[in-house]
Amino acid sequence: MTSSAAAVLIVDDEPGMCWALGHILKRSGIVSVAATSGEEALRLVQRERFHLAFIDAKLPDAEWRELARRIREANPGVPIVLVSGYFYGDDPEVLQAAAAGVISGFLSKPFLHDEVLAIARAALVP
Amino acid sequence: MADRGQARVTAEDGAPKTGRYEKLYAMLLDAMPSSVLLIDAQLRVVSANRNFLEKARRSESDTLGQRIGEVFPPLLVDHMDLERRLRRAFERNEATQGKRMTYRAPGLGTRIYYYNLVPVAWGNTVEHVMLVLEDVTEQLRLGEEARRAERHLASVVESASDLVLSTDVDGRILTWNVAAERLSGYAGDEVRGRLFSEQCALPERGLVSQAFRAVRRGGEFGTAEWDLVTKPGALVPVAWMGSAMKDDLGRVVAIVVVGRDLTERRKFEAQLLQSQKLAALGVLAGGIAHEIRNPLAISSSAAQFLLEDPDDPEFRRECAEKVQAGIQRASVIIENLLRFARPGARTDMEPVDLVPVVRDAAALVANQAGLQQIRMVVDLPSQPVRVDGVTSMLQQVFMNLILNAVNAMPEGGFLRVSVERSGAEAQVRVADTGHGIPAGEMGNIFDPFYTTRPVGQGTGLGLSICYSIVKQHSGAIEVESVEGRGSVFTVRLPLL
Repeated sequence: MTSSAAAVLIVDDEPGMCWALGHILKRSGIVSVAATSGEEALRLVQRERFHLAFIDAKLPDAEWRELARRIREANPGVPIVLVSGYFYGDDPEVLQAAAAGVISGFLSKPFLHDEVLAIARAALVP
Repeated sequence: MADRGQARVTAEDGAPKTGRYEKLYAMLLDAMPSSVLLIDAQLRVVSANRNFLEKARRSESDTLGQRIGEVFPPLLVDHMDLERRLRRAFERNEATQGKRMTYRAPGLGTRIYYYNLVPVAWGNTVEHVMLVLEDVTEQLRLGEEARRAERHLASVVESASDLVLSTDVDGRILTWNVAAERLSGYAGDEVRGRLFSEQCALPERGLVSQAFRAVRRGGEFGTAEWDLVTKPGALVPVAWMGSAMKDDLGRVVAIVVVGRDLTERRKFEAQLLQSQKLAALGVLAGGIAHEIRNPLAISSSAAQFLLEDPDDPEFRRECAEKVQAGIQRASVIIENLLRFARPGARTDMEPVDLVPVVRDAAALVANQAGLQQIRMVVDLPSQPVRVDGVTSMLQQVFMNLILNAVNAMPEGGFLRVSVERSGAEAQVRVADTGHGIPAGEMGNIFDPFYTTRPVGQGTGLGLSICYSIVKQHSGAIEVESVEGRGSVFTVRLPLL
């Protein structure tokens, strides 16, 4: 696990979602930073290097595939997990994006805390 | 020819004046468009004019000097009772006028004649009787055609499935066709002389009288929707059109009113409304799923935190609040959906405040708009804007217009929804910065099933339903659009 620097980036325009994901990680001792817009997320990835990013599929100011591409541009190799209530697990769009390497995982809203933690732990293994 | 021969002889004998008159008469007789025969007391033909010879296909030689029974077919002579009539003419100086006969000369078609027997007396003795035959075949045929045309027109009116009626200039019913009898239950005799307005529903009578006064001044009224009161007292929705019937001098002499029963169309529209709602729900589903699953996800997480039994009382309280707020949020969205999806219990007009109706419609679409990076501004007055209407139908109109605007901006944009008062009107405006409507398609957009969306993505019923609903609310719907720049739809409704 990394040091003081934020390990996980959470991008969701819904503050309640950032609250939930942030607390799940924090209670397991994982540091995270939340951004409520695509623009804010891109500013953060320019400044810091993250080990995992949870991104919402429907941000008012950013298209999720494009956001994923730009995050990875700034933080090469960072696993990106799409978190959405708009898609379902085997949604053709999700499968296609995963196959193309745009995202590395999908988390359907609502989710179980254990699912979030499993993803985080897998990504943060040193 | 014998007469004319004589006339010539007479003229040569030095009585030129008399001879000339005789000649003139002979020429006149030949020029006449009627057949003229001169018959003597032995019932023999002594003179026949050219018209007769041509019509009967006879020559002078086999006509002059022949008995009448040899010139005309004996059966016809019997049928006409011609010999008896001729004798009466000779004996009693009695004329026979305007009798009808049918005669068919060999090789020609049947002709119909009116004939007159005119006794020609010298002193007290009738020496000759003139038989004048007038060919009326053409006149009769024309008269028959005119009658047939009249009967045809009458049967067009009577067979029409639309109501066709006429009134005098005061609006009193003169004629009332079968369709009107069928729909109203009133026979023509029962309504003749009654005011048309009295056959309409009570609240509409003022408008009806007003429309009739306009027609009386030479105008017309087009597609006014007034309910017809049937004999059993039921109300039937009918679309009426009225126009003035003018005489040759341009004076209004009557008013013609045509009505179409809207019962079936209303049923069809109700079905369209339902199917359109389903289509709109399909569009909404994506946005709604997202919008409901967010509060569900937050509530779910908060509940999972509580299950972990956290020590911090502040955090526990925060979790409980998140559960409560999330459920509340999801429930409001579902309620809005239900309100939209279920037909309103009331379909009668009642006072409706447009402000909450527009606010609810905008709120339902807001989810979808947000997903498409559309900035939405809803500009509502603080005071109620009341119109006479059906809430669920009006909501459908605004919902459709807003959804259309969202669909016109797949790449995002700006959407402004506003309600305002303007004179005696309420105006609801939906303005987008989407792809707009090509000028050539502006005339089609309110047609049922007209759509610009790919197959499967829209039924094309939205705007036609909006149009129909707004019309039923005595309002108007207008569109201004610039292709590539966006569209503004304005719904105008009479303020209460």
